[in-house]
Amino acid sequence: MPPAPASPLITFLFRSTVLFVVWWALTLGELSGLGFGAVVSVLVAWLSVRLFPPSGFPLRPGGLLLFFGYFLSRSVVAGVDVARRLLSPALPVQPGEITLTLNVPEGSPRWLLANTLSLMPGTLSVLLEGDQLTLHCLDTRDPVERDVRATERRVAGVFGLAVDDCQEATR
Amino acid sequence: MTDSLIFVSQAVLLILGCLFFAVGTLGLFRFSDTLTRIHALTKVDNLGLGFIVLALLPLAPSLAGGLKTLLIWAAALAASATSAHLIARAVHVRPEPPNAGEVEHD
Repeated sequence: MPPAPASPLITFLFRSTVLFVVWWALTLGELSGLGFGAVVSVLVAWLSVRLFPPSGFPLRPGGLLLFFGYFLSRSVVAGVDVARRLLSPALPVQPGEITLTLNVPEGSPRWLLANTLSLMPGTLSVLLEGDQLTLHCLDTRDPVERDVRATERRVAGVFGLAVDDCQEATR
Repeated sequence: MTDSLIFVSQAVLLILGCLFFAVGTLGLFRFSDTLTRIHALTKVDNLGLGFIVLALLPLAPSLAGGLKTLLIWAAALAASATSAHLIARAVHVRPEPPNAGEVEHD
């Protein structure tokens, strides 16, 4: 059963606050612009709640923090991995595609996972159809699916979801 | 003492960032097909920009300035992931002809 969506009022307050902090950063804390920024933040937050009502997947601060840590460390691995392959004279790559069945639900979790995978080592999201995600792999000899499942668990943690990752890959 | 330490680490991070950007561009030449090239550009540039942002953070004039620098990195990441996916999907739906340079005749 999908969890109940967050209350629109809380979503509205949360989005207003985030937008206002972004405004504050973009204007470098300029005092004369804060009043205008506050009005715009509230209006945009109101419009965003009308256009994109709160989903059933509220963010978990702890899971988000773990996700950021994981994302940063894997970004370094991803960059170094591609750089190492590129600088090696033999160019050790074996590109290929793999299609996986995702265990995270439709909506923001699946969207976040597909986008994150494009920045993770050796994977690139090509096609997302329902729960079938086609990935382009830089090297099919790598344990791609293991990495994808690890990322999937982190993404699920952001939304406080539990996933059973016993799905098999279909190549 | 601390100042010079920060300065040296900033210099190292900046050079590292630029090197990663250079390697990412090298990927455009060494890899032969679109999808593999996207791998090089997204991953290596993400890391390169990350290093440059990290190097610039101690120079930020204020907390808001630092946050703005981080937002630039986040925006670049989101744009990079989204455009990479869109190009990859376009290539998947309509694969490249084997001789991309050749003019097609109907």
